[in-house]
Order: sequence, then C-alpha cells, then structure tokens
Amino acid sequence: MANRKVLRIIVWLFVIGLIFAFSAIYYVFNMPRRNIAKENAAFTMTAKQLISDFKKDENGANAKYLDKVIAVSGEIKGIRTLDNHSMVFSLEDAMEGVSCTIDSADVVRNTSKLSQLKGGETATFKGRCSGMLMDIQIINSSPE
Amino acid sequence: MKELYLIAVFCLVFISAGAQNRYFTKDAKINFNSSTPIEDIIAESNQATTFIDLDKNELVFSVLTTSFKFRRALMEEHFNENYMESAKNKDFSKAKFSGKITSPIDWKSEKAVVVEVKGDLSMHGVTKPITIKANITPGKTKILANAEFKVTPEDFSINIPSAVRDKIAKEVTIKVDAIYAPYQQ
Repeated sequence: MANRKVLRIIVWLFVIGLIFAFSAIYYVFNMPRRNIAKENAAFTMTAKQLISDFKKDENGANAKYLDKVIAVSGEIKGIRTLDNHSMVFSLEDAMEGVSCTIDSADVVRNTSKLSQLKGGETATFKGRCSGMLMDIQIINSSPE
Repeated sequence: MKELYLIAVFCLVFISAGAQNRYFTKDAKINFNSSTPIEDIIAESNQATTFIDLDKNELVFSVLTTSFKFRRALMEEHFNENYMESAKNKDFSKAKFSGKITSPIDWKSEKAVVVEVKGDLSMHGVTKPITIKANITPGKTKILANAEFKVTPEDFSINIPSAVRDKIAKEVTIKVDAIYAPYQQ
C-alpha cells in the first residue's frame, strides 16, 4: 500500500516536471523580441562621437556598441521612407553618418513626433547598434 | 563662331568626364531561405548598401549580419551568436560581395538584361569566388537589379552542429533586390 503511494507521487512529480520542461522549451523557442523602445540606453552620445569611435577602431567600437541600445543625437541630413513603410533618418552625413532605421510599426506609433522632424534640425533616436558599413546603423529605433 | 563651338564641345566633354557614373542604394533587400522538410528558415535585411560603377561595370554589395530579421527572435540570436559569430570582429559582422559584370551591357538601353557577375563573396571571415546571374534594368533615374544564387554554409567555415544539421538546408538560397539611384558626391 505504501509502495503504491510512493509510486503515485513519483509519477505525479514526473508529469509536473515534464510540463515545466516543455513550457520552458516553448518559452525559449518563442521568446519575445527585445522591446528596444522600452529598454534604457546603455550609451547616450552624439552621432559625431559614435562616428569617430567607429572610424578610429571598428573592432573596438563593435566590441563596445554592437547589439547595445544607444541614444544618439545629431543633425538630420536625410530622411527617407522605404517601400516597407519603415523610415531612415541620417544623422550628420547622408552617406557616412549614423543611419537610424525606424520599423513601420514604430513609425505608426510615433507619427506625430516624426512628422515634426525636418532636415537641419537636431534629433535624438534610441535604437540597437548593428555596426558600420559606410554609415553606422542603428536599427529598431524610435525618436526620443 | 567656330571657337565658340569648340568651347562648347570642350565643356561637354569636360562635364561628362567629371560626372561620376555611379549609382547606389543603402536600402537594398537581401533575403535568404533555408528550406528543409523539417523547417523553413527565412531572414531578410533591408539595409544592404550597394554601388554600381557604370564605367567599369563593377558592383559592390555589403550588409551587416546583425540587420537580418527572422521569424523568431531565437533564430536571430542563434544566427548571430552561433553561426555568423557577428561580434567576433569587423570581418565577421558583415557580408560583402564585389564583382564585375562580365557579359555585355548597354547602360543606355533601359531594357532588362540577364548578365553574369563574377566576383568574391566574403562572410564569416572567408572569401570565395562566385559567379552570379543577375537581372539588370538600366535607366537614367534608376537602375533595377535582382539576383538569386546559392551558397553552402560549410564553404564559409560556418559550423552547424550535427544535431540541427537536418533543419538547415545544405544550400541556402540568397535573393538580392536593389533599386539604385544616381550617386552625387
């Protein structure tokens, strides 16, 4: 009789463990995307500083900034809307400056703020740094 | 009168020689697709930078590996951390292609042509020669280009653990789509 009780407990524990394991796997597999807009910026800096850090030592800058959330401010030198409705704001230089890409969902969320921004003005964008091609790319950004 | 004519011709030649015959875009699309019976993996980036030099028939493409978006956040993480090792150094954080259009192309025709582009593809710190067939539609205000080609991850020393090898295609199909505008410096 006592043996059966022990067995029962073991079976239940096993089942509960299994449920936990599966939900953990399910969660990791479907883990939510980072919500960059809600994260605090790891660095707050000017676009000029970021550009000079990358031009000086790209590997070092990658180690420091890659995948980090940065709030970067500078003069808007170019604004363009892509065919997937995301927007790109170029800071300091249209070709070799900082390009902040705003995903279409965030464009919708920030319509009024974005429509006020014009070339020549200074603006701040917060996003995830994805590295440097000609320009330094800040993705998943939103205006501050 | 004759002198004036000569000056005009001289100016024209000078202007056309001074104009840089380059087209570019910073918003080219690159997507790749690994399709197996177990899982379809699709990723896309809208942030590839590319230039075409019409005088030399040369073409360059580059994209940051961290700019690719996947259906699942976990795939993105695995792609960057385990496979592309994007954070390792600057050669790992981007993929590049530079090549030359080897078939004849008339940039003034405005007619779509299929051309062969021969060049080098670099990613994950490895450079390999590759020949790509591309569709190009020349134009004055914009040039359209697209291409599709296949690469084998192992050729670029991308190690895929045997446990997940069946989930990733032996050959990954890459599609490129760009709309170029004239480049003025």
